[in-house]
Amino acid sequence: MNYQLLQIISRFGIQLGFGDRSIKQVCREYNIDVNFFLEIINSYHDKNYFPRKNLQGFPLKLIIEYLRESHNYYLEIKIPQIEQLIRQLSEFSDRISGESLRMIDTFFHGYIKELQDHIEREEEKVYPYVFSVEEAFHLKKIPDSLVERLGEYSIDDFESEHDNIEDKLFDLKNIIIKYLPLPVDPNLCHAILTELFRLEADLNDHARIEDKVLVPKVRFMEKWINEHHAQ
Amino acid sequence: MRNMENVNVIIADLSPLSRFGMISLLRQLNYPFSFREVSVPEKLKNIIHKDQASLVISSASFLEKFSDYQIQTMLPGGKYVAKLLINDLPHSQRKFTGFNEIIEFTDTERTILRKLNKTAASLARLNSFQVMPEEISDREKDVLRLVALGNTNKEIAGKLFISSHTVITHRKNITAKLGIKTIAGLTIYALLNKLITSEEIN
Repeated sequence: MNYQLLQIISRFGIQLGFGDRSIKQVCREYNIDVNFFLEIINSYHDKNYFPRKNLQGFPLKLIIEYLRESHNYYLEIKIPQIEQLIRQLSEFSDRISGESLRMIDTFFHGYIKELQDHIEREEEKVYPYVFSVEEAFHLKKIPDSLVERLGEYSIDDFESEHDNIEDKLFDLKNIIIKYLPLPVDPNLCHAILTELFRLEADLNDHARIEDKVLVPKVRFMEKWINEHHAQ
Repeated sequence: MRNMENVNVIIADLSPLSRFGMISLLRQLNYPFSFREVSVPEKLKNIIHKDQASLVISSASFLEKFSDYQIQTMLPGGKYVAKLLINDLPHSQRKFTGFNEIIEFTDTERTILRKLNKTAASLARLNSFQVMPEEISDREKDVLRLVALGNTNKEIAGKLFISSHTVITHRKNITAKLGIKTIAGLTIYALLNKLITSEEIN
């Protein structure tokens, strides 16, 4: 059993205690698109199974809703959890190593800020743009304002701006593994590392859906708009 | 091999006997190999693309249908990758090039193990220094100090009387040795190792 998937299930709003009901039944109860649910779950379960084509077939609304839910999960659940563990680390140590451990705390807050900014930009700038592209594409009606906007900002800009928020995470892991001054609580360190590795893997899966599903889908519609607005 | 990460090995061979045989020989060597078998020539390109193998072992009969050029572009290059050929077509006119070592189909177990060991050892040497932590030099410490205190490359170049280009080289080496990429991370390292004090930052 892949217990990591339970986290993903909760992002769809499904709570534990679903008994022996089938996926189909549970999805119906929660009003979830079964096929979309299965594709997402499978792509997390098996890295080699990445149904790019299938996933691109779903409406953007579903994809973005899912991406938003994972953002919430990072900011509301995962990050506060790690934050608390790191705080414990400095509380339980003596005065001298306590000071350096507080630096780790500060460093992690720098990372949180970066992650928040990143997510905010996606939700407030990128997603609304993506929806307006989809609307124009489906109604086959291209407002001038959109054409203007497309000239200034396209999904490829989003992809190239998709900055390296993972760098700080990478550093934090290495600092904890290699450079923390003793004495520290080893169990706490391992707990933090496990969480950091999980967060990193989760963020990578998340980015994969953005880069391989969202971006190509929008790029395709942008191309259509660029070709048709002139006529 | 404590300092080595898992080594991905691709075994490309039409014959299951040959693939299993190779794997059991490789298991006798004490390296952290993880194996990927390929039995269909058309699939090799994709798998190489995905798997980031450090060692590719392929039989001549497996590669026979590809041109030299195709083989050259398909197999991974660079000095961190080793390629071995199992010559199971001894009577063929075809000469395959670009392989680190050729294993004859008629080689004895000892000979094969010797060849495999030689290749694995040189791979380990090449790959391990990437993951083995190295001390940073005194000059790199100077640069690190200044980076941690918030100086730009240009400012560091001015203070140490070196070119910006040299500063960049030092910074790359520091990051590679310490495994720390960001300035904030380097600052913590510098503080923990007493290269700077927290008063200096403020």
